[in-house]
Amino acid sequence: MINDFHYLKPASLKEALAMYAQYDDCKVICGGQSLLIVMRQGMLAPEYLLDIKHVKELRYIKFDDKDGLRIGATTTHREIEKSAVIARKYPVLVAMEGKLASIQTRNWGTIGGNIAHADPAGDPGPVLIALKAEIKFGNADGEKTAPLDEFFVDYFETKMEHGDLVLEIHVPAPDAKFGCAYQKFNLLGSDMGIVAAAASVALNADGTCKEARIVLGNAGPTPLRVTKAEDLLKGKKLDDKLFAEAGQIASEESQPVADIHASEEHRRHVLGVLTKRMLKKAFEQAQKAA
Amino acid sequence: MSHKNFSVINTPVHNIDGIAKVTGRATYAFDVTLPGMLYGKILRSPHPHAKIINIDTSKALEFPGVRAVVTGKDTLGIKQGIWRRYEELCDEQILPLEKVRYIGEPVAAVAAVTEEIAEMALDLIDVEYEVLPAVYEPMEAIKKEAPTIHEGVERNINVTRHIEWGDVDDAFEDADYIREDWFKCSGQHHMCMETRGAVSSFTPEGKLTVYTGTQSAYYHQGLLAGVLGLREGDVRIIAPYTGGGFGGKFELDAAQFCSAVLSMKLNKPVKIVFTREEDFIASKRRTPMFYYVRTGIKKDGTFCARESRMFSNGGAYTGMGATALYLTGFFHSFPYKWRGYRYDGYRVYTNTMPSTSMRGFGAPQAMFCSEQQIDWICADMGLDPFEVRRKNGHTEGYEVPGQAFIASCGLEQCINEIEKWVKDKGKLPANRGIGISSCGFMSGGIFNWFDSPYSFSSAVITINVDGTVELHVGCQDIGQGSNTTMAIIAAETLGVKMEDIKVHSGDTDHCPADLGAWGSRQTLMTGNAVKMACEDAKKQLLEFAYAEMGINIVYDLDIKDRWVHIVARPERGMKYEELVKKALRGKDGQRIVGRGYYTPHRKGMISPAYSYMMQAVDAEIDPETGKITVHEVMTAHDCGQPINTLGLIGQLEGAASMALGYAYLEDMPFEDGKMMNPNLVDYKIIKAPEMPHTPIIEIDTYEPEGPYGAKEAGEGLTNPTAAALGNAVFNALGIKMKELPITPERIRKALKEKKEEEAKK
Repeated sequence: MINDFHYLKPASLKEALAMYAQYDDCKVICGGQSLLIVMRQGMLAPEYLLDIKHVKELRYIKFDDKDGLRIGATTTHREIEKSAVIARKYPVLVAMEGKLASIQTRNWGTIGGNIAHADPAGDPGPVLIALKAEIKFGNADGEKTAPLDEFFVDYFETKMEHGDLVLEIHVPAPDAKFGCAYQKFNLLGSDMGIVAAAASVALNADGTCKEARIVLGNAGPTPLRVTKAEDLLKGKKLDDKLFAEAGQIASEESQPVADIHASEEHRRHVLGVLTKRMLKKAFEQAQKAA
Repeated sequence: MSHKNFSVINTPVHNIDGIAKVTGRATYAFDVTLPGMLYGKILRSPHPHAKIINIDTSKALEFPGVRAVVTGKDTLGIKQGIWRRYEELCDEQILPLEKVRYIGEPVAAVAAVTEEIAEMALDLIDVEYEVLPAVYEPMEAIKKEAPTIHEGVERNINVTRHIEWGDVDDAFEDADYIREDWFKCSGQHHMCMETRGAVSSFTPEGKLTVYTGTQSAYYHQGLLAGVLGLREGDVRIIAPYTGGGFGGKFELDAAQFCSAVLSMKLNKPVKIVFTREEDFIASKRRTPMFYYVRTGIKKDGTFCARESRMFSNGGAYTGMGATALYLTGFFHSFPYKWRGYRYDGYRVYTNTMPSTSMRGFGAPQAMFCSEQQIDWICADMGLDPFEVRRKNGHTEGYEVPGQAFIASCGLEQCINEIEKWVKDKGKLPANRGIGISSCGFMSGGIFNWFDSPYSFSSAVITINVDGTVELHVGCQDIGQGSNTTMAIIAAETLGVKMEDIKVHSGDTDHCPADLGAWGSRQTLMTGNAVKMACEDAKKQLLEFAYAEMGINIVYDLDIKDRWVHIVARPERGMKYEELVKKALRGKDGQRIVGRGYYTPHRKGMISPAYSYMMQAVDAEIDPETGKITVHEVMTAHDCGQPINTLGLIGQLEGAASMALGYAYLEDMPFEDGKMMNPNLVDYKIIKAPEMPHTPIIEIDTYEPEGPYGAKEAGEGLTNPTAAALGNAVFNALGIKMKELPITPERIRKALKEKKEEEAKK
């Protein structure tokens, strides 16, 4: 049973922020793909729901060669998946969205809602962090920007405070020789990952590793960067041995929790395998890039 | 094969209720609302095993909007069960008086003006329990020191079953090679789209009407009457549509029982619909089984003997579990000829939700063990798995000693087709394998543990003056399309069009008794009754046609596509509609009525007929993560004469989906008796993206006992898949999967063990 609540439907961002500031026991809804589940389970029973689905100012995809990609918070997963410019510039985002839940969910769920929900098993988090994304959020008093990997604080907890809304995701323009790959391990294609790994590789002109990022999904309280492994790769000529080593580190550094779907040991093992594979895939993409 | 010139049979026919369903007009029990109706909710036990000391309902009764609260004390306290002939197997009080035996067992029910109020009132019922030690696994429950779940039942052994033929020990003596293995087969949830639900309406005239989803309206009529102290004729079950059954909807359930008890107390209609979670934790499940299998074989591949012991997790009550215990043991011998065969099955009570029948009825478990072990034996001995199956397989005219007679059998053709398909695929890439499994299945059970005094199936057809036909049957359409099947058989037999037939089923007041939809019985049994009823009516019509047409009696008359004609001279005849009008006049205005029935006689112990099949599963396994990808599921299938070719495909695809789920996804883990995944996020079923291509080759056979040569289709194909996937994994990676479901972790574990073994060598 879902408890009764008051429904607020602001028409503009300004009105949304004002309303949110006004009501204490208030949750933001923008599709309800995550919120309604926890409400139905009785874990949340807010007095007010603030529906920002109709705040048009936050629904956009913009790309500029220098500035990179900007996605408004209420942009749906499906819009990202179907964006031609994203397919061209950030194919990993399209591939990730294509396997995020079902088409029905992607049609209604939004990128901002997904990030704000801060489920460590969510798909966009690790990929966006691997792409060095930043997040813009704010309230009636002003806006803030943070690197996405610093935005997540704990299970279902972010840097946002009451009154804050996610406003925009910003992904910088990629390096010339850059690759990024993501894979989740699950039994059903439409499920969240039992574990997941995203990896990005930028290469120097001489082919050595300029920078690498490794981000694990559902391997701890937040999307988890494996900096120890990232450091191992930096400046080196990359090969399978290094990928395997990085995988080993990822496996050790991860903090997965066992449940009925997999033991801790299996999760750690698969995280290592996925890290190794995604690094190799990202590296091969970077090599091919012009 | 004598009669292949069909008009309707063997064509693709859309389900006659398809449009009503897809346009939302089909009313299920959930959709029924009656004037003055109240809503019920069930309070369930949080303990796996506890004495009920006291139930205080006073606070709940005072809650505004609550109309009644019932507990076991408001019932007759009758222990019920579907094995009515055997008192000791009637062991379940749906609202127990003395103790609860599993988490989720009903202890009280509330009726209120809204569902929300009823649910809130549950919290106000104060149940005092004395928690008892509990046991969850059969191998633990069977020990001497285990807690007693049912008083007087020693070692918690609920039922045993022994099957034996031939001199087993002597046959083992002849074997050149003997292999033995242990297997563990998991449970599975029926996962009906429609959860259990009922609207019961008891009126002061002393009559009870229950709208409910059911696999057998007649069984529910009998069970409810028995447990409520009513005459069967005073209980009416209406089941216009049922949203899936799969073996889980022919025992009495708590929605039906509690709504009826509440309604009888209030003289008002009461509706109870299970939530998805309630369906998961308290609606029974496929029986988990531990199998020990010992098989002896000669060097040339001839099977000598098999000896198996099976221990099943029966859960808290018997239900249909006693039948599953027999059938798993019987089908474990299938589809092969054994000189000696011995099976001992033990169904053991535990403090978990009861286990029962589910699509395949014990055979999927039996085949998982048998068909994998056969491949392992072939690998051990360097024999060809196709050849060995062909050599030992059932053939037409074979008698399973003391058990069954095989009148039609397309097994060899099935094996040949699949062998060709596999060989055509050629060499596969690394980590990819094709596994095979053959099996067979029943076309309806001969058993009458329900003690029905009626024919197993009956049908009545009435022909109206305009030629339209009312077909009354007691078979139950649960989505499998049996109403369509019956309409096809009626249209074909009578010689009219599909649109002339109206099927009336799912109402005990207006339809003849029929044992219902279980054990793949309706196409053969109800189909025979329908055919007989139509032949009866047709004969009456043709009597008038002879008189009307004034033809020589040596000519045969027939009706086809509404044309009444001389068989030898089809152009000579008259319109069916005209004939009906004249025939009615000749009968002094009475409508033409035809009757038919079917009860199997002298058909062995199990079933009048058996389907056969072989399946191949093409799967790829990621050896690093253990993840399985199923590429294709190929089936060669002998169901006798197909009746509805479209319905057949639907049934076989559904079986493949359910069986693949059983093979590698679906699981019901328990912790201290509590199911850990009672929701659709954590309970994994095959979804559209995972569903592989499932082509089918139909083998042409004719079953003399079936209507137009038809036999089982759709349930049996749940049997081979888990074994075939296991064999695919074996062929891909050389590992033996002895536990279901075949999960990535189990694959990794087996790979690790294989490595360690190889290192030892």
